Amino acid sequence: MNQLLTYSVYGTAILVMMIGIYAMLTKKNLIKIVIGMSILDSGFNLLLIALGYIKGGTAPIFSPAVEGKDVIMVDPIPQALVLTAIVIGFGVTAVALSLVIRLYRKHNTIKIDEIKTLRW
Amino acid sequence: MVANPILYIALPLFTAFLVPLLAKLWKPLVRIVPGLVLAYLAIMSIVLMQQVGPDKPIITMIAGWKAPWGINLVFTSFSGFIASLISILAFFIWLYSFKFKKVEFDDAQKYFILFMLLTAGSIGVVLTGDIFNMFVFVEITSLSAYALTAFYKGRDGAEAAFKFLLIGAFSSIMLLLGISILYAYTGTLNMAQLAMLMPQVPMKAKVVSFLLFFVALGIEAEMFPLNGWAPDAYSQAPGPIAASFAGILAKAGIYALIRVSYTIFDLGNDGGFDLLLVMGLITMVVSELVAMRQENLRRMLAYSSMGQMGLIMIAFGLGTKEGIYAGLFIMFNHAVIKSLLFLASAYLVYYTSRKKISDLDGFGKLLPVTSLLFGLGAFAIVGLPPFSGFWSKLSLLVATADSHMEFVLATILAVSVIEIIYYFRVLGRLYFRKANKEIKVRKPTWNSTVSMIVLAIVIIGVGLHPDFITGLLHNAAADLADKAGYIQKIIPDLFSQTLN
Repeated sequence: MNQLLTYSVYGTAILVMMIGIYAMLTKKNLIKIVIGMSILDSGFNLLLIALGYIKGGTAPIFSPAVEGKDVIMVDPIPQALVLTAIVIGFGVTAVALSLVIRLYRKHNTIKIDEIKTLRW
Repeated sequence: MVANPILYIALPLFTAFLVPLLAKLWKPLVRIVPGLVLAYLAIMSIVLMQQVGPDKPIITMIAGWKAPWGINLVFTSFSGFIASLISILAFFIWLYSFKFKKVEFDDAQKYFILFMLLTAGSIGVVLTGDIFNMFVFVEITSLSAYALTAFYKGRDGAEAAFKFLLIGAFSSIMLLLGISILYAYTGTLNMAQLAMLMPQVPMKAKVVSFLLFFVALGIEAEMFPLNGWAPDAYSQAPGPIAASFAGILAKAGIYALIRVSYTIFDLGNDGGFDLLLVMGLITMVVSELVAMRQENLRRMLAYSSMGQMGLIMIAFGLGTKEGIYAGLFIMFNHAVIKSLLFLASAYLVYYTSRKKISDLDGFGKLLPVTSLLFGLGAFAIVGLPPFSGFWSKLSLLVATADSHMEFVLATILAVSVIEIIYYFRVLGRLYFRKANKEIKVRKPTWNSTVSMIVLAIVIIGVGLHPDFITGLLHNAAADLADKAGYIQKIIPDLFSQTLN
C-alpha cells in the first residue's frame, strides 16, 4: 500500500509535467504555451519535493521542541531547491508574458502560426 | 588591490542594481560606472591569473561554510582562464557600446543593467563549484539574454526572444531533473564530491542524468539540433550583444558542458566523449552548410559561430590532452575573432534595412577601417596564417591526427573550404564591387574603433607569436585533465578519508 502511495506521488508529478509539455508543444495560443510552461515547472517542483520526503518526517527546523529528541526530519535541501526553482520559474513566466505583450502589439495576434517572420 | 574571485559575481550584480540609482544622480554615470567595474574585473583577472598555478588554485568559501556544505568558487588555471577571457572581453564590448546614439536614455539604462547581469551570470557559471548554483547562474544568464534579444522594439526581437525562452525553459527543467537524479543517488550538490561519489551511482542513472545535462547545456552551447534559437537571437539582438552571445554566453555554456562531462561524469571510456565528438561533427557540418546559403550577414555569422562551437566540441570529444589544448585555443580564438566580426558587421549593416550581404557592395571604400577589420576577422576565423585562427586549427588537426581519426580530420578540412567560400563571398562584395551612389553609411565612433582595433591586435599578436598564450592554455588543459587533483583541492579531508 505504501509502495503504491509513493509511486502514485511520483506518477502524479510526472503526469503534471507531461500535461505541461503537451500544452507547450501543441497549443497555438502564446498565452497557453506560457501556461503550459508554468504547469511543467509545477510538476517538476512536486517531483523534487516528493523525492526529499522521508516517511513520518517533520519540518527540518531545529527548535527547542525537537532538540535532543529522536525526531526524523525530511530532507531540507530539495525544499530549498524548489524554493529557488519557484522564484526562477516566476521570473521566466514574467519575461515570457511581457514578450507576449510585445508580440501582440507588433503582430496584432497571439496565434503562433500567424507570427513567422523569422525562419530556420 | 583587492583581488578575490567573489568580486567577479558581486561587483557586476551590485552595479546592475545600482544603475537606476546612478541615473537619478547624474545620467552619464549609467554609462561610465559599468565600464569602470568591468575594467577593474579585467585587471583583477590578470592579477589572479599570475597568482594561480597548477598546485595552488584560489578557492573562496561563501559565508564561511566549508566545501561540501557551502557553496564555493573555484578559480583554477582552467576556470580562471575562461573567467578572465569573459571579463576582458566584456570590458571591450562595453568600450564598443558605451556611447549609444540611436537609443534613448531609458533603454540605454536597461541595456547596461542587463549586460552586467549577463556578465555576472556567465562568470558565475564558470567559477562556481556547486551544481545547483551553476543552474541558478545559467538561469540568470539566460533571463538577461532573453531580454537583451528583445531589446530593439522595431525589429523582430520579441519573436526571437520567445523562441529562445521556450527552448530555455525546456533546458532548465532538464538541467534540474539531471541535478535531482544525481542528488537522489549521492546526497550532495558539490561538484567535487559528486565527482568523488560518481562510481557508486548505478550506470543507468548515470547515463540518464548525463543525457539530461548534455541536452540542457547543449542548448546554451549551440549544439545541433538544439540551436534553433541562435540565428534568430544573433540577428535580432543589438550588435554588441550578438558579440557577447558568441564570446560570453556560448563560452559559459560550453564550459559547463565540458566541466560536467570531464569532471563530474567522466564517461570517457563509456562513450561520453564519442557522443560529444559525433554531436560536434554534426553541428559543424550542418551549420557551415546552412551558413553558405544565408543572405543575411548576421545570420551567416551566427551559423558560422555554431560551426565553431562544433569544432570546440570535436576537440574536447577527442578526450586527449592535445584535444583539450586545441579546444581551449579555439575557444579563445572564437571569443576574440567572432566578437570582432559581430562588432564590425554591426556598422557595416547599420543603415541597410534587411541586413543583406548583397547590400554591402563597395563598402571597402566607404568604410575603410571597419571593412579592413572585418576582413582581418574573416581571414583569422577561416584559419589563414599569420593570424591566431591558424594556430588553433592546426593544433586541432594535429590532435585529431594523433588520435587516428582520419575521417574527422578530412571533414574539418572540407568544412574549412566551405567556410572560406562564404567569408570570401562577403569580402568580394566589400572590395570588388562598385558602391551604390545613394547609400548612407555610419562611421564608427572613436571608442568602438579603439575596441575593434585592440581585438585585431590580439588576433595578429597571438598569430605572430602564439607563445603569448600557449603557456596559459597548457596549464588550463593539464588542470582540466586532472580530475583527482580537482577533488583533492576542494575537499581534501573527504578525499583522504576515501583513500584510507
